Order: sequence, then structure tokens, then C-alpha cells
Amino acid sequence: MKVQIDTDRCTGHGRCYVLAPEVFDADDRGNGVVLLDGPIPEALVDQARRAVANCPEQAVLVTE
Amino acid sequence: MAYDANEAEGGNPFAAMDSAMAASPQAMYKMLRDSSPVLDLGTMVLVSRRADIEEVFRHPEVFSSNMSAVELGNVRPLIPLQIDPPDHVRYRRLLDPLFAPRQVAELEPRVAELVHRLVDRFVDRGECDLVPEFTVPLPSEVFLTILGLPLDDLPTFLEMKDGIIRPPGDTPEQQAEVRARTASSIYDYFDHVLDDREKARRDDLVSRFLDVEVEGERLSRAEILDICFLFLIAGLDTVSASLDCFFAYLAQHPEQRRELVEDPSLVTNAIEELLRWETPVAGVARVTVRDCELAGTKIKAGEQVSIMLGSANTDESEFADADDVRFGRETNRHLAFGGGVHRCLGSHLARLELRVAIREFHTRIPSYRLAPGAELAYTPGIRSLAHLPLHFDTGR
Repeated sequence: MKVQIDTDRCTGHGRCYVLAPEVFDADDRGNGVVLLDGPIPEALVDQARRAVANCPEQAVLVTE
Repeated sequence: MAYDANEAEGGNPFAAMDSAMAASPQAMYKMLRDSSPVLDLGTMVLVSRRADIEEVFRHPEVFSSNMSAVELGNVRPLIPLQIDPPDHVRYRRLLDPLFAPRQVAELEPRVAELVHRLVDRFVDRGECDLVPEFTVPLPSEVFLTILGLPLDDLPTFLEMKDGIIRPPGDTPEQQAEVRARTASSIYDYFDHVLDDREKARRDDLVSRFLDVEVEGERLSRAEILDICFLFLIAGLDTVSASLDCFFAYLAQHPEQRRELVEDPSLVTNAIEELLRWETPVAGVARVTVRDCELAGTKIKAGEQVSIMLGSANTDESEFADADDVRFGRETNRHLAFGGGVHRCLGSHLARLELRVAIREFHTRIPSYRLAPGAELAYTPGIRSLAHLPLHFDTGR
């Protein structure tokens, strides 16, 4: 599983990096950024999925 | 319970709600979603379904947030709320970092201190009226702190925000007159603060506004005033109303309150669930800038559109068990802070204040109940209370 943030949709609700702090971080404006390059390690998949499911703008995308 | 559309005047569709409905608006939201999800009242259009609300938020070029969307007494657009893209983004680039989670996290100890200072004043009494003694002063004191203003200015601050948000007066004309007078006093107040900071900078937000640059240009005096004006009316009442709604809920749901007291790690998620269920800011306003169609309903240019956030947050299409309030809810895409480009700038600060207030208050007063005979009268729109009388054990 890989994730990315659609920067056109992200408006900085900040849910992703609160719910999945090992997968996402905040940039200086409070918008989400993906911390990891490449596939998400098995141990972090659950929190990544939770971030995807909780984004109010549906800006966190599962790419593969 | 009654909803009389004829009473939905003055740009506030929630004015038509009676007090029972204002206390539990979820049933009215459902009725609107099921019967008329895009309802043209003549004076404004109500939008109540989740999908349509998302559509509105994603199209600020049609559903504008400009000055015509809502009457607040200001003479220039409030920044950034009443500025649409593309200009909007230059202000948000400047303001977002000041209210980003990392930035507001630094305030946590100070907020906790303010919470305890307020609780100290009533903890030994066994009773309090939480609104004047806690939920109203706390957000205002936090804001005074951030802006670098003395806490002694609290009464002035409260008078200014109330003069805009709930102006006294029997007729819309009288209220408009109070709003205009108050607005002018707000511009004057911050003008003086800026004069002071021009002479000597301090470590506060107002001083930062004077030096910060957006795309190589400094903010003008008018722009700074338009930001401060918005902060005053958007940053205080909304958090107070949230505290009103949350504490009223917890006072009436002792088992869920006990869950929080026994496991404070639930607080963060509980706040998201209470934001969803209560949606203290029940709606936000837009205005159409051209003729358009939403879910098959035609809307003319220039119509005010009321986006019913509380309805989006209880829509069964998004939340299968929308009427269950569960602090352990796993998936919660609520829109209590709005959505799209105008997502509440202060949302991270609001969450911090709510989290610290709920957590710290319950370490001091873990068990409380509504005073016997207390009737909670919620104001519609921004769902605040004038009184929230609580009884509790003093532990002595």
C-alpha cells in the first residue's frame, strides 16, 4: 500500500497526521505531507487506512 | 417541535427553530434532508445533504464567501473569510502557519493555567454557572493572550463580540445600528493597539502582523484590522459554544463522562465525536455569484446559501449509525470546522482549547450534574447557552 496527498484537495484539517503520526506530518501551514517514501510497512497500514477514512476532503489517496 | 420557514429571516435560517429544536436539532436536519435537501426559502437557500454540502465547498467560484453572504457590520471584507480565491490563498499562506498545530501546541501550558485559574474560583463552592464563569471567559482570555492584550480588557472584548453576534434591539434596523456602532469601535480598538505596537514591538500576534510579508509586501493597516476583526468575532463565541454543548452533553451522560475521567486518552477522539454530534457552529453562509443548479434545484445569482454543517455531520449516507454518540468512533469525517478553502483557520487552536479544557476540568471536577430544574436554552446558529448551572461534590 502507498499513499499520497492530493494537494489541491487538502485544506489542512489535520486529521491524517493526528491519526497516523508515523505516516504523515504537517507542513508549516498545517497541511498534510507523507513521511514515507515507497510502500507503507505492514505495522503502519492500519493507521494509514484510518487517516484515509477520516480525511474530510478525501484528499488522502491510496495509490497502490 | 416546529420549523416555520417564514421566520427564517435576517440571514439566519436557524432563527426559525424553537427552543426544543435548538437543543436537539438533529431531527430537524433529517427532516430537511429527507424532504427538501436544497430548500429555497425565498430569502435564502438551505443545503442539508452531505454530498451537496461537499459540492458547495468545492466550488467557491460559484458559492462565494464574500461580504454579501452574511451581515456582520464590517465595512470591508473580513480577512480571510470574505476573500475568495485566488486572493484568498495569499492570506492563508500567511495566517495558516500562525495557527498550525505545532505553533498552537506551544500555548498548551498557558491554556491549562487559564483553565485552572477559572476553576479555582468555583471549585470549593459545589456549584457554578459554567457559562459566565468558564465557557465565556476561557476562549477570550486565550485570545487576549495570543494577541498580547491585557486580560483586563476582557469586558471590552466581550462587549465588542456580542455587539456583532447578538446585537440588542427589537427590529433588524436597530440591530444593524448596534452592529455598525460596534464595528466602528472594533476598528478603533485595534487601531490603538496597532499604534502602540508600531512604537514598540512585542512577542505577540499583532506585532507579527506588522512585520510579516505576503509575496514581498507587508500587510496594510486596513488589512491587519480586517484580520483582527474576524478573529474577534470568529475565535471567541465558537469555542464558548463548543464548551457549552460539550459540558451540557457530559453533564447529562454520566456514563460517558466517567469513560473520559477514567481514560483521559479518550479525550481527543471524544472531542471529534462531540464536534460531529453537537456541531456547535450549526451552519456557515455562502452567496451564489452566478445562476447555478444544485442537486437539480436551480439557484439564482446573488442568493444567500446556508450550509447546514450539523446536517452534514448526521447524514446517514456518511454515518450509518449517525445517531449513536460513540467516543470510540473510528471513522469520523465530520465537517464541524467547515470544508474547502475556507476551512476554519482556528480549528487547531479550537481543538487545543477544547482538549485542555475538558481534560483539566475533569481532573478538578470529575462528577457533576445539571442543577435541579435547569433548562438549557440554546441559541440557534451558533449553539451557545446563556446559563449552564452545575452542581458537583467539593470533595470536602
